[in-house]
Amino acid sequence: MHIPDGFLTNRIAVSLDVISGASILYAARRLKVDFAGRMVPIMGVLAAFVFAAQLLNFPILGGTSGHLIGGSLLAILLGPMAASLTMATVIIAQALFLQDGGLIALGANIFNIGTITCFSGYAVYKLLGGGKSGGKRLLIAGFLAGWVSLMISSACCALELGVSGAIPLRFGLTVMLGYHAIVGVFEGILTAGVLSLLFKVRPDLLKIDKLSRFGLPDWIGAIVLVAIPAYILVMAGSSSLPDPLQKLLATSTTSAEAGAASGTLSSAARYTDYIVRAAIFVLLIALGFLATHLARRKRGRP
Amino acid sequence: MRHSFLDRYALLDSPLHILEPRSKLLAFTALIVCVLSIPTGQDLLFVAYFFATAILMGISQIPLSFILGRTLLILPFIMLASLAAPWRGFPGLAALFVRAVLCLVLLILLTNTTRFVELLRGLRRFGCPQVLVMNLSFLYRYFFVLTEEAMRMKQARDCRRVGRAPFFEELRILGSMLGTLLIRSFERAERMHGAMLSRGYCGEFPVISPRRFSWRDLAFLSVVTFFIVLTVFVR
Repeated sequence: MHIPDGFLTNRIAVSLDVISGASILYAARRLKVDFAGRMVPIMGVLAAFVFAAQLLNFPILGGTSGHLIGGSLLAILLGPMAASLTMATVIIAQALFLQDGGLIALGANIFNIGTITCFSGYAVYKLLGGGKSGGKRLLIAGFLAGWVSLMISSACCALELGVSGAIPLRFGLTVMLGYHAIVGVFEGILTAGVLSLLFKVRPDLLKIDKLSRFGLPDWIGAIVLVAIPAYILVMAGSSSLPDPLQKLLATSTTSAEAGAASGTLSSAARYTDYIVRAAIFVLLIALGFLATHLARRKRGRP
Repeated sequence: MRHSFLDRYALLDSPLHILEPRSKLLAFTALIVCVLSIPTGQDLLFVAYFFATAILMGISQIPLSFILGRTLLILPFIMLASLAAPWRGFPGLAALFVRAVLCLVLLILLTNTTRFVELLRGLRRFGCPQVLVMNLSFLYRYFFVLTEEAMRMKQARDCRRVGRAPFFEELRILGSMLGTLLIRSFERAERMHGAMLSRGYCGEFPVISPRRFSWRDLAFLSVVTFFIVLTVFVR
C-alpha cells in the first residue's frame, strides 16, 4: 500500500505533502510535548514496536502473508494525535530504510496510512464506546476500528492513484477494497486480541490517551483536514488545467524556442540567459542555507 | 541472532558519503522532482537522467546487486499498473516504469550514503519538528532491540508447536504475542525514560558530526544544479 514515486501526478503528490506536513506540525504543536515527560520515549518505542510487529507475520493463502498495520491500535492507545505522529515516523523510516514508498509520495503515504487510519479508527472506537468497558464490546469496537480504518485508507489510496491516472479508478477501487476487505479482517482480529489482552493484563495502559486530549475543536479541525484534501483531489482530477510544474517547464522551453526561432536571441544571448538562471538557482540554494544557518544560530543550538 | 543494520552501506567512505547531509538532501530531492516532471514523450531526458543516476551509483561504491534487489520492491505496483495497461497504452506505462525506477534508485542512493543520525541532523536543521526527529531517532535505536525480542518470541512459538495450528488458533497466538510485545515495549519505554532523566536528558541528543559544509558540497551542488538547469532549459 506504500505508493512509490512516479505513480501520482506531481500536483496530487505535492499537495498531499503540504497537507501531511501541516498535519504533522499541527500535531507536534498541539501535543505540547514536554520533553522531560515520558510521552517522547513512549511514542518512539511504539514506533519501533510497529516496525518490529510487522515482522511477525502469519500465512494467508498460497505464499502471501499478512501482518498487523497498527494505525488504529496506536490511535486507541495513544489518542489520534500522538498516534498519527507515531505512524508518520514509521512511514518516514520505512521510506528511508526500506525504500517502501517514495520521497515525494511520502505525504500521500503519511496521509493514507497514518492520518486517515488513526483518525477513522479512533472515531469508530469512540463511537462504539469501546473505551467504557471490557468484554464483548471492547472486542467488537476494536475489530471494527481495525477493519473500517483499513478500508477507508485503501479507498483513499485507490482514489489518489485513480485520479492520477496510474490505475483506472473503478479497477483500482475494486482491487484495493477487495484485497483489504480480507486483510482488514485479520487487522481487526489482531487489534481486538491485543486490546483484550491489554485489558486483562495492564488496563492502565488503555487510559494513556488522556495525555493527548482530543476535544471538539480538534474534531472539527480533523474533519476540515480530511475534507480539504478530498476537495483538492476531486478538483485536481476533474480540472483540465495543466500540471503547474509541467506548465512552468513548458513555458520556459517555449519562450526559449520562440526567442531562438524569431532570431531576436543569438546563441550567446541564450547562453547568458541560462547562466543567469543557473546563478539564480545557486543563489536561492545559498540563501536557503544562510537562512537555516541564521535561524539555528538565533535559537542557539549547537 | 544475525543483525543487518538498516543503513548498512552508510558507513562507506566514498565521495558521496563525505558530503554534508543537507546538501545531499537538497540535491537528491531536486533530482527526484525533476525526474517526476519529465513529460512522457521526452525519451532523451530519460536517458540523460539515467546516465546521471548511473554516474552517482558508480561514485557511491554501493554494490549493484544491493540496489537491484531493493528495486524489485516496486514490482507489485508495476504489475498492478500493467494489469490496467489496456486503458493507458504502452508508452505511458514505460514512462511510468522508468520514472518510478529512477526515483527509487535515487532514494536508495540518498539513504545509503548518509548515516541516519546525520540525516536526522540535516532534517532538524531544515526545520523538521523536534518530536518527529526524536521519534525517528528512538525508532532507529530501539528497532534492533524490539526486533530481537520479536524474533525470540517467534522462535519460542515455533519450538513449542509442531506443524501448523488451525488458522484461528494461529491468529489467537499471534494476537497474544503482539500484546506481550506491546507491553514489553511500554515497560522498556518507562525504564528508558528513567535512565534518560537520570543522565541529564533535556530534550535533545547531542550529536558529534565531523561533516561541515565545505567546498566539496558547493562543487556537488553546483554540478547538480548545472545538470538540472541544462535538462530543464535545453529541450
